[in-house]
Amino acid sequence: MNRIIFGILIGTIVFITACDKNRNNKNDFDKAALLQNFADNIIQPRYADFKTKIDSFEILFTSFQSNPSEAKFENVKTQWKVCYLSFQGVKTFDFGPSMNTGFKGAIGTFPTDTTQISSNIAAGTYNLATATNADAVGLAALDFLFYQTDAYLKITTSQFYSQYCLDVIQKMKAETDAVVNAWTTFKSTFIASTGNESTSMFSMLVNDFCQDWEEAKAAKLGIPLGKYSLGIQRPEYIEARYSGYSLPILKASLKSIAEIYSGIGFNGQDGVGFDDYLIGLKKENLNTSIKSTFQTIDGLFSPFNSTLEIELTQNQTALENLFNAISEQVIFIKTDMTASFGILITYQDNDGD
Amino acid sequence: MLIGTSRFILNGWVQKLYIEPTFFFPFLGFEWVKPLPGNWMFLPFVLLFVSALFFMFGFFYRIASVVLFLSFTYIELLDKTNYLNHYYFVSLVAFLMLFLPANRYCSLDAQLNLTPKHLLVSKWNIGILKFQLGIVYVFAGIAKLNSDWLFDANPLKIWLQAHHHLPLVGKFLQQEWLAFVFSWTGCIYDLFIVIFLFNKHTRPFAYIFVVIFHLVTWYLFPIGVFPWVMIFSTLIFFSPNFHERILQFITKEKMQTLSQKTLPTFNKKIVSSALILFVSFQILVPFRYLAYDGDLFWHEQGFRFSWRVMLMHKEGYGRFFVVDSKTKREMELPQQQFLTPIQLDQMLTQPDMILQYAQILYKEYNGKTFYVAGLPLKIHKPEIQAEIYVTLNGRPSQLFVRKGKNLVTIKNDLKNRTWLEDFKK
Repeated sequence: MNRIIFGILIGTIVFITACDKNRNNKNDFDKAALLQNFADNIIQPRYADFKTKIDSFEILFTSFQSNPSEAKFENVKTQWKVCYLSFQGVKTFDFGPSMNTGFKGAIGTFPTDTTQISSNIAAGTYNLATATNADAVGLAALDFLFYQTDAYLKITTSQFYSQYCLDVIQKMKAETDAVVNAWTTFKSTFIASTGNESTSMFSMLVNDFCQDWEEAKAAKLGIPLGKYSLGIQRPEYIEARYSGYSLPILKASLKSIAEIYSGIGFNGQDGVGFDDYLIGLKKENLNTSIKSTFQTIDGLFSPFNSTLEIELTQNQTALENLFNAISEQVIFIKTDMTASFGILITYQDNDGD
Repeated sequence: MLIGTSRFILNGWVQKLYIEPTFFFPFLGFEWVKPLPGNWMFLPFVLLFVSALFFMFGFFYRIASVVLFLSFTYIELLDKTNYLNHYYFVSLVAFLMLFLPANRYCSLDAQLNLTPKHLLVSKWNIGILKFQLGIVYVFAGIAKLNSDWLFDANPLKIWLQAHHHLPLVGKFLQQEWLAFVFSWTGCIYDLFIVIFLFNKHTRPFAYIFVVIFHLVTWYLFPIGVFPWVMIFSTLIFFSPNFHERILQFITKEKMQTLSQKTLPTFNKKIVSSALILFVSFQILVPFRYLAYDGDLFWHEQGFRFSWRVMLMHKEGYGRFFVVDSKTKREMELPQQQFLTPIQLDQMLTQPDMILQYAQILYKEYNGKTFYVAGLPLKIHKPEIQAEIYVTLNGRPSQLFVRKGKNLVTIKNDLKNRTWLEDFKK
């Protein structure tokens, strides 16, 4: 009797195997190819680009320092903006070298602590690497130093003031160099780490991708808009408030994430991205939804022609619309996409319930 | 047990799961179980380790088994975030071992004459352990009889393809047919393996199946020591002769033949009614889901303690809002302000945890004063609302909790969870 059941059991398995083979469908996708594309065409070229821009930023600044002029100061400020926009393309990859060196926080923390900066300058001696100065460095610190009232007067008359700017720039340069160098050896680790456990580079990439999007939603837009403070707007939290570049920066950040999603390289060529993985998993509808939401969001910037601070008072509804569209995309990428990839958020035991 | 506990401590999970979190999610009816402060949380783990050691060698067996059961169960009751079916299994077996004389022969207790040496055990002693194992398999099998598992091969389809980078086998893992083979094999295996284990002719083959099956799951899924627990506990199905041979091999000492005979028990009635109670509890609990409307995987009413293993790939994304009852001013709460990433992940898809979290948030925000641009804003009896989207077994995400409901006033009980949105297949 039992042998018969046992036979049936084996038979069933063989049968299922056999008939399922007939509808064997080719949907091979290769995570290794995705990571290769990301390393070769996205991450490393973006870092290289950022490094070039930071390098010329330092050169422009030292040239301005040795022979100050209004025109040269304008060049410095323009290059600062160029760096700020370029940074939006590298801050997403906060794993490996970036995580180890604290690159993202050191360069991108905002809002900046103006009191701390002023007291540092007044003292003339400081250690920018300490935790107390974590909010007094990076691109946001220079936003204040370059764009506050009488910035030109201050930078050309105070030795400490302009030295502080240089120190901040050189700190960023050193940190960028460290990350760029570390990537040359880290690259092979990155490409090989295709697992779905939470510590794999593929998982970290997806998690950071989602996190960066959420940061754009909350820190760059939601907080100033009062979404986290009972509806009361908080302009003091606006990124790059002094220069008023917050909206272009937000737009660059969102655009960068959209390009990462599609695997578009720094040279503009479309390579293997998350979209291809979803298509491989036969999730075409999800891919279409995500891509069209990216497009919608891009279009929602059109009503704005002023700084975020002014738009907060004049164009609140348009900002709310933008905020809602960005929030909607979080559901697609963080829930649907991540779940489709089968990524584990913890390395603990989990029996799937 | 020993390995499990060491692994837990060495992986830093004591810190991560029981010391770092500020808040915990106790089980309904066990809200009085509280964690120990700070590093004192290592204490139950140390107790567990020591008692497992004593238990294994059968040294002061009774005390060891009590400490083992209590410390393990205490840890598991603290936070349902960490609920796993195999922890429940361990708790149940530890509970059974309280009453079983597993220290009668090859134990230090017996060797040192701390307990009378017995060669025989009552049949029910072995029987109840077999029953417990059988329950796990059969109910895990019954739970797999659902359309997601059988006709979509989900969630296995999702989990297997994620391993497509593995050498050799990798390229098959994203083939749909393989997910079907795994699903059906798993289901048939769970349903019928016990029958083959009971029959002495098929037992050796069945056991080979057991080993292969659990090794495969151990390799592909993050289920910790569970496969090893099952591989070794299934040995209980083998005959006394088999176990004697192993014992002889270990102790190198000639043994008299052990056999299973019914011994006169001092109070047969008590034992048999206790057994009936335990057995019916075990059979009824997994079926309690039938008392609820709607989709089991969606509302999870009657989901836990039912051997529903590896059945769901459920991910959620939620935004929580505090709405002041007077001014109706609202604000979204930052993700992960109060919970660890693991807790957040588990909470978003489990309705009872969502309600518990709402209570946590209410206590945090009620009466709190915010200074926004210099103005004090006191929050008075806030509503806690949430908008949560959940994706289940590869379906597009759907609304799970609709914004607008005050979660604070919804009671966390065993009634139908009508406050959830309906599930669309």
